[in-house]
Amino acid sequence: MKYWTQRLTMVLALMLAVSMLTFASMNVLGDPLFNILGPISGDRKTPENLVKIEAAEKQYYLDKPLPERYVRWLGDFVTGDMGVRFAATGQPPVTELVKERLPRSLWLVFMAQVLALAIAVPWGVWSASRSNSLANKASTVAAFGFVSVPNFALAVILYYIFALKLGLFPLRYDASASFLTRKTQLLLPALTLALPGAAVYQRLLRTDLITTLQEDFILTARAKGVPRRQILFRHALRPSLFSVVTIFGVNAGGMIGGALVVETFFGIPGAGTAIVEAILREDFPVVLALVMIIATGFVVLNFVVDILYSILDPRVRS
Amino acid sequence: MTDAPLLNVSNYSVGFKTERGLARAVDGVSFTIGAGETLGIVGESGSGKSVLNRSIMGLIASSRQIETGSVLFDGSEMVNQDRQNFWGNRIGMIFQDPMTSLNPVMKVGKQVAEPLRQHLGMSKRQAIERTIELFTNVGIPSPAQRTKQYPHELSGGMRQRVMIAIALAAEPEFLIADEPTTALDVTVQKYILDLLNRLQAEHGMAMTLITHDLGIARGRTDQVLVMYGGRVMEHAPTEELFTHTRHPYTEALLASIPRLDHKKHARLTPIPGAPPNIVEPPPGCRFSPRCKYAQARCVQSSPTVDGAEHRYACFFPVGTDAGAEALASNRAAGETATGLKMSHFEVDA
Ligand SMILES: Nc1ncnc2c1ncn2[C@@H]1O[C@H](COP(=O)(O)OP(=O)(O)O)[C@@H](O)[C@H]1O
Ligand code: SF4
Ligand SMILES: [Mg+2]
Repeated sequence: MKYWTQRLTMVLALMLAVSMLTFASMNVLGDPLFNILGPISGDRKTPENLVKIEAAEKQYYLDKPLPERYVRWLGDFVTGDMGVRFAATGQPPVTELVKERLPRSLWLVFMAQVLALAIAVPWGVWSASRSNSLANKASTVAAFGFVSVPNFALAVILYYIFALKLGLFPLRYDASASFLTRKTQLLLPALTLALPGAAVYQRLLRTDLITTLQEDFILTARAKGVPRRQILFRHALRPSLFSVVTIFGVNAGGMIGGALVVETFFGIPGAGTAIVEAILREDFPVVLALVMIIATGFVVLNFVVDILYSILDPRVRS
Repeated sequence: MTDAPLLNVSNYSVGFKTERGLARAVDGVSFTIGAGETLGIVGESGSGKSVLNRSIMGLIASSRQIETGSVLFDGSEMVNQDRQNFWGNRIGMIFQDPMTSLNPVMKVGKQVAEPLRQHLGMSKRQAIERTIELFTNVGIPSPAQRTKQYPHELSGGMRQRVMIAIALAAEPEFLIADEPTTALDVTVQKYILDLLNRLQAEHGMAMTLITHDLGIARGRTDQVLVMYGGRVMEHAPTEELFTHTRHPYTEALLASIPRLDHKKHARLTPIPGAPPNIVEPPPGCRFSPRCKYAQARCVQSSPTVDGAEHRYACFFPVGTDAGAEALASNRAAGETATGLKMSHFEVDA
């Protein structure tokens, strides 16, 4: 219990630091007033401009010192109000934008992880159980191929084969379609993200499985007559998943990065594209909100990984 | 059929192809075990005991392995056949290290239930009930709670009892216990060995008890096979082997372990040197580099295992005139024909 309290404290401190850094750098390196009002932001001599400037400063608290603005922002953020955008109208509020865009990216990454595991586990088990065959050498080549091909190239290839040639998937993402249709639209982008991940998981799983299969308890299982399939899936798989679980968290980060590319390519209005648009427009509140959410996602994921460890190995529990 | 032994091993050899050549881990071994009988297999570590037994069971999953000879189990030939139907079902196995031989991430009850469901077609509930009975039978206290525990929550002795329960679950006719107590505290060793003997008697099971400690074989086995470098050195009914030891290796093994009946020479004599290289074994008798009886003849040719009830492979057997003469001449020369100093053996004289 003490361990978890300590970890939680550390994580909260870390997130505060991340938020401070992001908040400060965006306000110090950029000029929020300019981002809101454009060129007139420097013109305090013209009375009507001065009125606009003062109104904007009030609305966005730009007249307050930086620490105070940070505390205000943080207070709002934790209560679910991510503030207003740096645009003439400030509409839609950041929270609304995030609510609209983020779920698509979350689904994309989630589906990608599920697909990656669904591909990697049978693939890894198969290749570990017959480690010297010719087919296995081919699978090794394929795995290295998936890892080394960049996301955008893989996107082009998959899009060409499955959407254009085979017509299995729609050509564009349609945000107004029904829930299920939207999920099927995400399949191909998710697969693009999933394949490199699957290849990495497969390599790790294969190596760990080959080691596990040499263990004494596998000999015991064979000697008591457990059929080969059950030995692989019931005895060998679980103790061989540690590397995969460890990399799972790291990989999620890579997939968020990849989501940027994939969303752009497939025209999915997700958080990845939102963050790119926001950076281009120097719409700091949006960038800040998304950076914080992604950071939180990472933290949560690492907790999940820790919990998975203890599920996988009862010895971690005690 | 009634007279045929349960297990009939004849001229059985196992080799492994390695980069340096063929490793003859088991070389021309023969023995038989009748139903309900116990065979002790004794030899230093590396003498081929585990390979012999695992190969007989067909458990060595290596494409580098080569098997020759004949192994009849209940009349059917096992060599180079798929023996999977026998695993756990008709032949059970217990391994040396209960710390690593149980699946660390599976509850022990489930590990016992697996063969019950697999071989006896029990339902989940029946398997649980039977597991609790088995746990009671192997002396595990509060068996119902224990079934829900993981191996790391049990002591070494308890884990070995779980291993025994697993091996006996499907009531095999034959049990192979490969150094079942080597990894355990001395205090639990006797308990486990007694338990094995009791269960064996109750089930009318045949058993091989593999050990590097000759003392363990005494009083717990019907016959003993002494192995060295993959070969049989001596093979005899247990009491005969201890009272009329013929092979210098057996004698050396006896001198290297503490024995209760050895009051005068309480001092132990370790066997000098190391077990032979099985890829390029020494010429002649494999034990000659370490044998205090070794003569020129022992290096020139290799003795075969001869005899009926009591078999041994030696030109100058212990307790015979030939042996006594060989020893006397080596003492006079101060060293054996392989250059081994006799002073090594005479320290306690
Ligand atoms: N898969 C293998 N490939 C090559 N040599 C092996 C293999 N397994 C065992 N051996 C060799 O066979 C010999 C006998 O080993 P083992 O049967 O384990 O001895 P013991 O059980 O008597 O201690 C050893 O020299 C060992 O190195
Ligand atoms: S006396 Fe010769 S044959 Fe007998 S064990 Fe010694 S070396 Fe081998
Ligand atoms: Mg062994």
